Amino acid sequence: MKPKLDMSCFMGKLLGSQSRIAQLPGKPQYMQAMLVIALFFSVLTGAQAQSTGAATGKLHQIELVAEKLDGGYFAYRMKQHVVSATNGANEQNVTSRYPDYATIPGPTIVIDEGDEVDLTLIHQFDPDAPGEDQVSVHVHGVHYDILSDGTLKYINMVKDESAVPAMVYEYKWHAAAGTAGTWAYHDHNMINHNGAEDKGLFGALIVNKKSGSVDINLQGQRKAAPLSSIQKDYVLYMLDDTFAGTEIDSITGQQTYLGPNPAFTAQQGTNVRFHVIALGTNLHTFKLAGYGWIDPGTNAVIGEKAMGPLEKHVFTVQAGISTVYRDTAFSSNLLGMKGNFNVHPQ
Amino acid sequence: MKPNNFKISLALVFLIALLFTSSLALAASHTISMTAETLPNGQFAYKMSNHTSSDGATNNYPAGATIPGPTLFVKAGDTVSISLTNNTSVKVGLNVPGLSTDSSEASPGQSKTFSFTASKQGTYPYFDDGSQLLGLFGAIIVDKTDGSVQSLVEDEGAITAVKRSDLKKEFVMFMVGSTFWGTEIKNGTQTPLWTNPTLGAVKDDAVRFHVLSVGPGHTFHLHAHRWPDETDFAGMNVDPNMIDVKLMPAGNASHSFTVRAGTGVGAGHWQYHCHLVSHMESGMAGKFHVVDKNSGETGNSIAGASPSGAIFGNASNEPGLVTFEVSDEPGSWFRSARADTIFSITKSTKSLEIIPPGSSVHFIMSDTNGVHTITSLLWPSDADDPVHGDHYTMPFTQTKAYRGGGIVKLDVPGLYVFTCKIHPYMFAGVIVDDPNTEGLDLGESIDLVTGVKGLPTSSDLATRLVRTFFVATSQNNWLDYTSSAPWHANYASVPVRITGGAVANLKDVLEARYGQDVTLPALFNPTTPGVGEVWINTQFEKTAGKTKPGTITVLDATNWTLKRKIALPSINMNNPHNIWSNKDQSIVYQTQWFDTKLTMINRENGALLHNIQVGDTPSHVMTLPSTDDITVAINGENGVVRIPAGTTKPDVMMPTQGPGQTPANPHGHWITPDGRIVTPNINTSDVGIYDSNDGSIIARQKTGGVFPSAPHPIAIGVGIDKIYATNLLDHSINVISFDGTLLKTIALLADYDPISPTGPDTLKDRDGDGLVTAGVLPIQTPVDPSGRVVVTANTGGTITIIDTKLDKVVAMLPCDPGCHGVNFGAKQGGGYYAYVTSKFSNQLIVVDVDLENPANSSIAGRISLVAGAGVPSDDTVSSLAGMGGQGIYAIPNIYNGWVQNLPDSWKANLTAAQMNPVQ
Repeated sequence: MKPKLDMSCFMGKLLGSQSRIAQLPGKPQYMQAMLVIALFFSVLTGAQAQSTGAATGKLHQIELVAEKLDGGYFAYRMKQHVVSATNGANEQNVTSRYPDYATIPGPTIVIDEGDEVDLTLIHQFDPDAPGEDQVSVHVHGVHYDILSDGTLKYINMVKDESAVPAMVYEYKWHAAAGTAGTWAYHDHNMINHNGAEDKGLFGALIVNKKSGSVDINLQGQRKAAPLSSIQKDYVLYMLDDTFAGTEIDSITGQQTYLGPNPAFTAQQGTNVRFHVIALGTNLHTFKLAGYGWIDPGTNAVIGEKAMGPLEKHVFTVQAGISTVYRDTAFSSNLLGMKGNFNVHPQ
Repeated sequence: MKPNNFKISLALVFLIALLFTSSLALAASHTISMTAETLPNGQFAYKMSNHTSSDGATNNYPAGATIPGPTLFVKAGDTVSISLTNNTSVKVGLNVPGLSTDSSEASPGQSKTFSFTASKQGTYPYFDDGSQLLGLFGAIIVDKTDGSVQSLVEDEGAITAVKRSDLKKEFVMFMVGSTFWGTEIKNGTQTPLWTNPTLGAVKDDAVRFHVLSVGPGHTFHLHAHRWPDETDFAGMNVDPNMIDVKLMPAGNASHSFTVRAGTGVGAGHWQYHCHLVSHMESGMAGKFHVVDKNSGETGNSIAGASPSGAIFGNASNEPGLVTFEVSDEPGSWFRSARADTIFSITKSTKSLEIIPPGSSVHFIMSDTNGVHTITSLLWPSDADDPVHGDHYTMPFTQTKAYRGGGIVKLDVPGLYVFTCKIHPYMFAGVIVDDPNTEGLDLGESIDLVTGVKGLPTSSDLATRLVRTFFVATSQNNWLDYTSSAPWHANYASVPVRITGGAVANLKDVLEARYGQDVTLPALFNPTTPGVGEVWINTQFEKTAGKTKPGTITVLDATNWTLKRKIALPSINMNNPHNIWSNKDQSIVYQTQWFDTKLTMINRENGALLHNIQVGDTPSHVMTLPSTDDITVAINGENGVVRIPAGTTKPDVMMPTQGPGQTPANPHGHWITPDGRIVTPNINTSDVGIYDSNDGSIIARQKTGGVFPSAPHPIAIGVGIDKIYATNLLDHSINVISFDGTLLKTIALLADYDPISPTGPDTLKDRDGDGLVTAGVLPIQTPVDPSGRVVVTANTGGTITIIDTKLDKVVAMLPCDPGCHGVNFGAKQGGGYYAYVTSKFSNQLIVVDVDLENPANSSIAGRISLVAGAGVPSDDTVSSLAGMGGQGIYAIPNIYNGWVQNLPDSWKANLTAAQMNPVQ
């Protein structure tokens, strides 16, 4: 016997998230109407969050949908992502970069230091199950005020910052200078004040540095490489019993959902960036055999990293050999918690 | 040596000497007197008596003992001498990894001096190695000599260097178990903030956090703030790595950082918490309250519940905290930290605590090698009410088993019982008593984890549960069959307030309802011998050579005498729970259920062969009949581990659920003759059927059906073409086909009235089958090798017999409280005995199974599991002789699929029918 992973179990695609709603008689019209009303009200009541600091970056208007999948999973889906100047000029719709179904991890939001995000969360599943009537987005790292914390009133003492079946919730983030890095976003409100981050409601926010450079290990030395040299970004969530990941073409921004223990591909000699984020209850040691990379914030070259839930570890390597990434923890090893890093010759 | 080199060397020596003297001139020496104290709730704490420093800089310390202990601020190069006087009843030391190598301890009443040099800048935990999880920890903060501390990041991204003198506040936050223990330092004054405090600050104040940990690991997260990971990034000429979560690896750890409160994000209640999901679910969170400068709010911190606050026997105006140590010790699985005080009140259990409304209960996994959950079994009906109680914290539970602890504030008066989902006989009882009413409040009614709501506390089920609690958690309430004295159950003689405000004496009620001083039946041997040996996990028996409980008792079934006791002191064998053997019956496999190991033992001489790590909290072990590979259910995790036959290392874990799904936590699995692994998944309330060839999931069938939720499937029996799964909390058995189809649900409590007060009609023939039967809390449920009979051990003290032709209960036999394990062995000349164990007694019951007419099955013998003087053993029994009967296994293995693989020497003792049980 050996661990067998069902690749389909992590995604909403096969389950027809749209048809799920359509199966509920009268629901689509009702939902749409409530959404319109909700959006209208959120405009009327004004932005809950005041943008902080002088914005010099872009504005990202994002509509994110939270869905329920078979198997007890929940997941986020990108409904719309429009990038513009902060005054709304030069709108560019980049929604096609994302899978059109809910994924675990959820869509990776890639922005630049200085950008602002206006994120509207839509609760789109049947709320009959106890505790599933609220869902939120709590983001790490960047700036936001107390109304965009994505927590319950139980915690923030102001209000339940949740999307509910009849009302969207709008979060405003500012990736101010000093917040560059990769950060998790996740639910904080479903079921109780801890949220359902362990049921699939998580994703990554990548805030690229204004300086436009990344650190890379060249013959044991830390060297700066231009951000533009990165060909692929790999978002790799390290859960208690599996990895779950997305591969991003860094040039086009196109995101490919890869599911549990994903196999990443790279062209030999190109720079690729790993964004490893842990989530769950277990502690891990991440290892990419045969590679050394710069431990962020230091000059040290390392080949493995001890990590705990919601820590992030971001590093860039020049693709050389094909190898395997893994978590070396005892049970993770037995469960086959690993995946391939396939490097193809140019 | 050449003259030139000599000159250089001389110069170097001179320079070094100069540096040394100059550093001596700068360094201060600290002379400190501390004590170790016992707090009112039984926890321990360090206390500052005196601190003098040659540079005059000391802090204004709290007057009393505090958790964390006093925070020592020194500078790099300072020398520190701490005289520690131990006023507790246990040995206490003061370890400072990284600064001090002195691991000695002061005995009770003695003093000991620890001296070291604070050689390197950093934040260091100091702690006692042994009692650190009970409160003996504190921080030593070694700052640079120039007074600089960790830099902070401003709202527009600039990195600002910070001097300690710039700080408005410092917080020491220890992450221990599932609780934060805090201290505030402001203008040199240290104020204890105790558990999960609200940390106050004024916006834009520079605030330094010292996060430390002892014990199991954590990650620290503070909402809406970020800080540089490394302090020396400037010296390394690199950009700082900005983080908002930091790993505290297991053992001990520290991380200091500085933030400008609310910078870039504004005022608000910002949560801080551990980011391990199980720790979040067990209460490990608090608030960082940032107020605007001119808001009128003070920005003061608010202390949390404290070991010195209001608890039973300790009046105080501050919220109090009682502490249960989670332990591998029989009965005392949740042991009050002031166990002796509690015992003197209850005369029995050490697992009961009493607090006023608004105080908290704290759990710490300080005496266990296993993983656990801390889960509400029952609670006052109002406790999870959104208005009167707290539906965010009650019922209390965690999705995954873990290492750590738990903390929960209880506001609603009444009775709360907590258990562990993995080890469901671990119990902690808490009475939240309104001091303004007469009697201890058990409450009007209770809700149960199974979805039963509003059960009157006067009901038979409620008092039966209370009685079960007193029996399970009190070693002196267990049945000793070697004593001629009748069985006397000790209950707390206290007035309690129940349904309708009635006040009664608890002991009187329990004795009136369930009797007292019961004469135990006499022991006797079966007249027909059995074949081979019976291996019994006397899981609670204590021996002198080890700290952990449990032995294997080997019974010679041919003459009903004890052959051997195996304690394995060399590996401190911990709670041996379940047994199987290889196909030639030469090696016995033993799980350690409160640990991480599978043990291999030489059957013939009882010697240890191998002790193998298999995963957290392995419960049951069984071989695949086809390959003889070993399969071990990893009860605390999410799979079944395989050890290939003939090897000593697991090579794979078969997941019992899909990736990222809730862990199934399989307990007592069984294997079909064609190699399907069938697991009762306690955490996901289903039976899983898996293909042992590729590990794929064939089916997962929901179990239970009598009560609304949490059936707790715990054990599996496999017949010719049917699976029998017991549901511990649903008091039922699901009958399931090999492809996972539910065929039938057998309710074991159909004849029982749980709601009414105990009376003559509590148990009567309600289902009209002409029989009065009850199976309270069913556990092991094997099917005999021929597939004719299912024998089920019910914790409530009965054995029920199911006729598989009818799939209904056809007979009930008496058993002991904690009736637990069943397995079949061959009877000489044909047929089978079912051997039955009980946790809370020291007898083995032998059931003669009637394969012609299962209703005629009867008790054939009662055998003591207490070893006499001549029985060979690798250790000396010290207490609880013969107690804790759980897993049981007859050798030779006569189950269909296995019996055919026996060596000829074993087959010689079997009849033709026994060798081919399924005709």
